[in-house]
Amino acid sequence: MSIQEYIVETKNLVKHYNKGEVKAVNGLDLKVKRGEIYAFIGANGAGKTTALDMISGVLYPTSGTIIVDGLEIPRERKRMAHMIGVAPQDVSVYSDLTVKENIMFFADLYRLEKAQSNSRMKELLGVLKLEEKENELVRNLSGGMKRRVSIACALIHDPKLLLFDEATVGVDPVLRQWFWKYFKELSKKGTTLIITSHVMDEAEKADRIGLIRAGVLIEEGTPAELKEKYRVQTIEEVFLKLAGDEFINE
Amino acid sequence: MSDIDFTNFSSSRMLTVSKRVLRQITRDRRTFGMIIFMPLLIMLVFGIALSGEIKNIAIVVENQDTDTSEAAGIVIKNALDSDTRVSLKEGTYSSAINEIEDGKLSAAILIPADFTTNLQQKAAGGPDVTLEIRIYIDGTDPLIRANIMAALQDALSDALGDQGVQFDETLAHDGAEQSGLDVAIPAVMGFVLTFLVLLLSSLTMVRERIGGTQYRLYTTPLNKMELLSGYVLALTFFGFIEVVSILTISVFLFGATVAGNFTLLMLAAFMYAIVHVLLAVFLSNFAENELQAMQMVPIIALPSMALSGMLVPVDSLPVVAQNISNFVPLTYGIRLFEGIMLKGFDLGNLWLDFLKLGVFLLVFFVLSVLTVKDHNES
Ligand SMILES: Nc1ncnc2c1ncn2[C@@H]1O[C@H](COP(=O)(O)OP(=O)(O)O)[C@@H](O)[C@H]1O
Ligand SMILES: [Mg+2]
Repeated sequence: MSIQEYIVETKNLVKHYNKGEVKAVNGLDLKVKRGEIYAFIGANGAGKTTALDMISGVLYPTSGTIIVDGLEIPRERKRMAHMIGVAPQDVSVYSDLTVKENIMFFADLYRLEKAQSNSRMKELLGVLKLEEKENELVRNLSGGMKRRVSIACALIHDPKLLLFDEATVGVDPVLRQWFWKYFKELSKKGTTLIITSHVMDEAEKADRIGLIRAGVLIEEGTPAELKEKYRVQTIEEVFLKLAGDEFINE
Repeated sequence: MSDIDFTNFSSSRMLTVSKRVLRQITRDRRTFGMIIFMPLLIMLVFGIALSGEIKNIAIVVENQDTDTSEAAGIVIKNALDSDTRVSLKEGTYSSAINEIEDGKLSAAILIPADFTTNLQQKAAGGPDVTLEIRIYIDGTDPLIRANIMAALQDALSDALGDQGVQFDETLAHDGAEQSGLDVAIPAVMGFVLTFLVLLLSSLTMVRERIGGTQYRLYTTPLNKMELLSGYVLALTFFGFIEVVSILTISVFLFGATVAGNFTLLMLAAFMYAIVHVLLAVFLSNFAENELQAMQMVPIIALPSMALSGMLVPVDSLPVVAQNISNFVPLTYGIRLFEGIMLKGFDLGNLWLDFLKLGVFLLVFFVLSVLTVKDHNES
């Protein structure tokens, strides 16, 4: 199998809800390169979550194709499962388990060796600043901490493709900087990250940005390319030019 | 896409799910308390309410009609003596009254000295003779009262055939203790198992689904069968705990006798629990929240109770209801529990009921497998 340039490739991807009444994703052509950090940006309701859920195989498309690392999704999604790490928009960890038990549960689902998952967990608890919370029940943690636990669960098996849906919502700005530093490190090691956000300054740090509106990609490029094309100083201004009305509506 | 993958089945992933569910259930104090105390509570309530057969009700019979050895009073007293519903105690009518008020006796019966004489006069067509027996009885428990009266009626018709005997019946205040729970225990066991296993299983399943965590599981290598078996295994484990606690309560607290094989009884109860775990797993698909899941339990359990022979023997039900009772698992549960505990049946007598329970198990298993999800549907 030849190594494709793109780890994720969707063609004319469509997802309609309520028998076509809601066109959540409406002909999306997405190409994400290996090892890049791709920021998938759009207003609430633009279709980011729907698109990401189809890529992770959780949601079946109405039409269109998805190829992830040469695998046809959703048909071959269980073969893809070990190589993706997903942090859903709604923090989905078990609140009546401790931080450690949550992480170890996912480690066991990926059938990692005990020693391996233990050292990996220690590393992640450090990166995500959760060392002191290891034995705390998740229910007793703040929203931002829960999100960090969720991210740890997505990273435990060292996947090569990360799908983070609004991963940094509710995480304080200082920690967010720290996260992005870690994301960059992962990317340098060859991990691909797709991070959705409706917060624009997140995008500035990404390798490439895709702007989605009403289920279609309306603009794409590196932060520098986009700023140059629209002759502005910040990515924020790019968005304001393209979809300002929608963001104001929030 | 709905293909069920048996080939890549990983029992380690299945056990990972089971372990987590078990841990979560034991950590939830309310639920865990329910598992431990509900059997006791329900067994107590239902056990007492349903104590079916009445035995050995303590009464005193004072017979003054002893002129000849064939005197009617003697025949009546002997007939009562051999009736298992009542147990004759020493004492006189007047001394017994205090004991009835103290709750130590349920009734006192006085057969007057002229009973035989009056009887003979009446048989000879004598005018206006009343045949009278005095009874002082505890009327607070209708069931006990009815049983005493029935025993007396039987004794009278044994002794005299159908002759108009008048009872001078006086009611006492205090209730008497009941006995004879054993007969009710198999049915109550079946009901408690139905109720608790359905409740715990459907609550757990709905919590899994509404927490948003199941969605994330879909992105992991965990497949449908592993997920389903993981749940079923964990819930069955709790079903097993319920079985053990219910049997322990029945045998050690209520002194239930197990005439048949204890292992066979465990097996029957265990199988019965699995049937309801699977039923709950299937039904939880139709519940959107914990409240709906909880509401489903009485919807299943109460009709089961009515149709399974728990309240009224199946044979006494209307024909339509009898036919429906064939499709109620509790019917077979009760038959198995009663058969083993009361009648001392073994597999030779019970294989058909085991088989039918097995059919339910298979059907609910297939329904669960067909409805288990591994992706979001909409
Ligand atoms: N299960 C669903 N049923 C019906 N409509 C849905 C469903 N999920 C999402 N939608 C709709 O699809 C659109 C896209 O939603 P979503 O993908 O969540 O957007 P985003 O993640 O960008 O905020 C919205 O209009 C949303 O209301
Ligand atoms: Mg979203």
